[in-house]
Amino acid sequence: MVNPVLLIVVPLGLAFAIPLFGFISKRIEKYIPLTAMLFNLIVSLLLIPKALQQPIVVSIGGFPPPFCINLVAGPVGILFSAIIALVGLLVSVYALDYIKQGATGEYHILYLLLLVGATGVVLTGDIFNLFVFFEILCISSYALVAHSGDKAGIESAVKYLIQGAIGSSLILIAIALLYGLFGTLNMADIARNIDSVSSISVFVPLVLFITGLGVEAAIFPLNAWLPDAHSSAPSSISAILSGIAIEVGIYAVARVIFTIFGAQSILLFLLLLGILTLLIGEMCAFSQRNIKRLLAYSSIGQIGLILFALGIATHSGVVGGLFQIISHALSKALLFLAVGYMIYRTGSLEISTLEGMGRKMPLTSLAFTIGAFSLVGLPPFVGFPSKFLIVRAALIAQEPLFVVLIALVLLGTIIEGAYFLRIVQVLYFKGEKSNSKIEDAPIVALIPIFILMLLILIIGIYPKLLTGVLNSAAGEFLNRVGYIKSVLG
Amino acid sequence: MILQFILIVAFGGALLSYVLGKISSKVRNFFAVFISLALVVMIACLYGKAIEKTFYLGFLDLPLLLRLNTLSWFFAITIAVIGFLSIVFSLSYMKGKEKLSFYYLMMLLVNTAMLGIVLSGDLLSFYIFWEIMSWSAFLLISYNRGPALAAGMKYIIMSLIGSVAMLIGLLSLHASYGTLIISEIVPLIASASSGYILFILILFFIAFGIKNAVWPFHTWLPPAHSEAPSPFSAILSGILVRMGMYGFILFLFVIVGSKIFLELGRDSFHYILAWIGAINIVIPTFIAMLQNDSKRLLAWHGVGQGGYMILGVALGTSLGVAGGTFHIINHTSYIALLFLVVGAVEYRTGGVRDLNSLGGLIKRMPLTFIGALIGACGLIGLPLTNGFVSKWLIYKTLILKGHPFLAFAALIGTWGTILSLYKFLHNIFLGQLPEKYKNIEKVPFSMQFPIIILSFVILLFGVLPGIPLKVINAIGISFGLESLNVNLWGIVSETGTLNTINIFAAILVAGIIVWRLFRLGPKARPVPQEDSYAAGAYIPKEKYHYTVEFYNPLYRIITPYLKDFVDTFYLKLSQATGRLANKLRRIYTGDVSYYVAGIILFLAVLIFIQICFKLW
Repeated sequence: MVNPVLLIVVPLGLAFAIPLFGFISKRIEKYIPLTAMLFNLIVSLLLIPKALQQPIVVSIGGFPPPFCINLVAGPVGILFSAIIALVGLLVSVYALDYIKQGATGEYHILYLLLLVGATGVVLTGDIFNLFVFFEILCISSYALVAHSGDKAGIESAVKYLIQGAIGSSLILIAIALLYGLFGTLNMADIARNIDSVSSISVFVPLVLFITGLGVEAAIFPLNAWLPDAHSSAPSSISAILSGIAIEVGIYAVARVIFTIFGAQSILLFLLLLGILTLLIGEMCAFSQRNIKRLLAYSSIGQIGLILFALGIATHSGVVGGLFQIISHALSKALLFLAVGYMIYRTGSLEISTLEGMGRKMPLTSLAFTIGAFSLVGLPPFVGFPSKFLIVRAALIAQEPLFVVLIALVLLGTIIEGAYFLRIVQVLYFKGEKSNSKIEDAPIVALIPIFILMLLILIIGIYPKLLTGVLNSAAGEFLNRVGYIKSVLG
Repeated sequence: MILQFILIVAFGGALLSYVLGKISSKVRNFFAVFISLALVVMIACLYGKAIEKTFYLGFLDLPLLLRLNTLSWFFAITIAVIGFLSIVFSLSYMKGKEKLSFYYLMMLLVNTAMLGIVLSGDLLSFYIFWEIMSWSAFLLISYNRGPALAAGMKYIIMSLIGSVAMLIGLLSLHASYGTLIISEIVPLIASASSGYILFILILFFIAFGIKNAVWPFHTWLPPAHSEAPSPFSAILSGILVRMGMYGFILFLFVIVGSKIFLELGRDSFHYILAWIGAINIVIPTFIAMLQNDSKRLLAWHGVGQGGYMILGVALGTSLGVAGGTFHIINHTSYIALLFLVVGAVEYRTGGVRDLNSLGGLIKRMPLTFIGALIGACGLIGLPLTNGFVSKWLIYKTLILKGHPFLAFAALIGTWGTILSLYKFLHNIFLGQLPEKYKNIEKVPFSMQFPIIILSFVILLFGVLPGIPLKVINAIGISFGLESLNVNLWGIVSETGTLNTINIFAAILVAGIIVWRLFRLGPKARPVPQEDSYAAGAYIPKEKYHYTVEFYNPLYRIITPYLKDFVDTFYLKLSQATGRLANKLRRIYTGDVSYYVAGIILFLAVLIFIQICFKLW
């Protein structure tokens, strides 16, 4: 039987083994992340049927749960680890050709560590471990943002580092406060006892968590690091940061609020914060001329949408939010990967230099178009069912307030449509007709792009593929008692 | 099965034609024509059948249905025919242009999506096809580059606004009734409160109004129509825009039902709708008169004629609904014809659309001229053309229901139509032939063929309106409206009878008399077209084109009233949004200490609020 621990141990071991492999041959290094993520994907997929029936709880060290470090591979955890492995795998295939210069060995180590961190965050059942894995994720992403080694990269990495460090210290304070109150670090154990303590002493760690995790999750007004970091990182890293890292941040926020604190009352605030994040993100993206910054701001907008959906906190709302996480991970990864080679070919980040790409790089442009359509929520791409679910979740409450709120959310969609479709026009219809020769991305990069396109289309047409997993994942988030029971027995 | 098969053929054909295009352009062209013709034949064979069938269950536990009834057949056949003719027209028109495989793919995809819309048996598949139609039309509008890009953006943004409204309405219905299948909603909505029905209708009507270019949502249409490739303009103006009309009819008469609809808002809702229709007739028609771009002129008529349809449908009587519905197909035939005519002229003159620099093409392109003449007569609504019959029905309804002002508005609209189309015909085909167009030839047969077919249809439905009216009457009966007494040459009712055969005979006799009279006079002496005089003086070549600023005095009177202030308002709004976005961007200053302060402040404010107000 496969053990969820393998999802963390194997890639972690391989990450540190990369320098050793480097002694054998420099050329092996870049295949290590690929292998590790392939392994993770297979293991996650194998674990899904079991995790759907009953969360798999693994205790490490032989003690029963409250006293040990434990992993909880429930539907949510396995779903996330599968997405992380999938996107990680595709991006590492892309990186085979894309990452050629600079510290390539270090790149692959850090890349794998980032993914290990992300997997650890979503699988752990222990709040301190959550912090540790979070730090692994963050620290490796600080370094990766600066990978290109130019001034912009280092500057934004430092900015990211400063804000991320503040966020992390807030989380650490919160953990310390909780430990002081309950004497335990097990999430389920804290959750069981949280109602026994006065509200304000619980509230302070809650707010510390929201703020600290909110920095990584890019919730407004804590997200100022994101546009810089995402736009100056190498495109493969931007894809991971946008597609995985901030989603993991959102996961952590949701886990803390839904499972640990069961804080129903703050959800409306988060929902409004989500709308604010969405609108600000989309508005900022609207006036961007730099393609990667535009995508980064659009990620902020998407995070706002996800937060809004989770904030509805009904079953259908959480399902919509999780679906949106998946659709954003796929679409945004695709967009960054497509843009990566366009930038590589033109040497510029300006949108105006993308003119005529539809002819020069037809497949990459098609990929961008599909990613953009999907994010805007046009059928038959994956963004449509996820947006559909979110709107339905908001309207099913049958409250006039939600009609207004959803109108605001969809206003964000319209702005999003405006800037994304404008770029599609630039790719295909702007500028002079030219017969410049075709120099599309190399085949190694086109494979992951093609797989992402296919996934976006297939899930968009047949969303039933995911509804089973999403339903039980939403159940795990909303059913606190069930979670506590399954961990502590 | 058969409906599924049609959609699969349409969609698969679209994709396959793209693939074939990579192999050989000849094969692709042939295949595209073949597919669009196959659709016409298949749909024609389905006449009179009623089918309802679930075709897909994989979408979030909502069944997707296809459904065929008289109403959807009526629209489907129109879509298929116009699609076929436009694709035939494209064969020569588009020759030598870029991205042709993409062009044919999108043309066929738009057709598929429109067929999907009218064949949908539930609102979700309706919405999905609606969206696919919107984005594929966006790509086609942008095809021509240059100013087409702005037109495309304008179109897609308004279209997205409509979709958003529709999505809210759709999901609100789903939240209330738990189903989106049209036949299941119908009995449920009958018991809904009138306020809720109004809420739903308004949300959907924003979407339909934008697509149908109803004033004040019309502003996307003129640039989009004029910048799109002409064969697509024919589809766009002819039938894509009228998907909005299909939506109106579907909601008013199928989902809500005429009885509830007429009583909505204390009997005022349909009246307001009728007035919107009237405004839609008058303003755009006169704006059309001011245009100097031939396609833009037609585009404004596309807005204006939509008003007649709404006017007819909004009154809710069987005569009015028949008139409105008939007007849809009539409009499709003549506006498509006129756009194709403009396309033919563009093709030979090298893309010239400016009415002031054309002229005298009648001898060079006689068949195109006849097409234009018939199309113009149809658009004006002269007897013997189909436009006459539908307008007759609408006028009749207005008079019977006692709405003199609405009837007057409709009449003024016709007047404006005559003036502007006279300008259209004259400035392109009559008057002096500019020197540079001296060697222009006729267009190839693949462009003449659609023109001939559409001209024939206009005359056929004008002389024998009973053919389409029989179908339309069946549609009306399916809505629960009372049956009309239709025969092959018109309509019999106690308040007035329309008999097109009599009109035809009278005009024939009058024609023969005039022809005989002309024969009595001295024989005409044919002179070359360039041999023209004005007030006894020879007109120098290239120096004088007396059709320039044709209606100058009239322009001076009406222009101040015809400012498109809605468009200006939208423009200002979008600029303001842009400015706001630009200002908002500045909150990310790049100063990290400021960001850190933000994080700490956020935390502090939350704790402060909790301590003071105990909100959470």
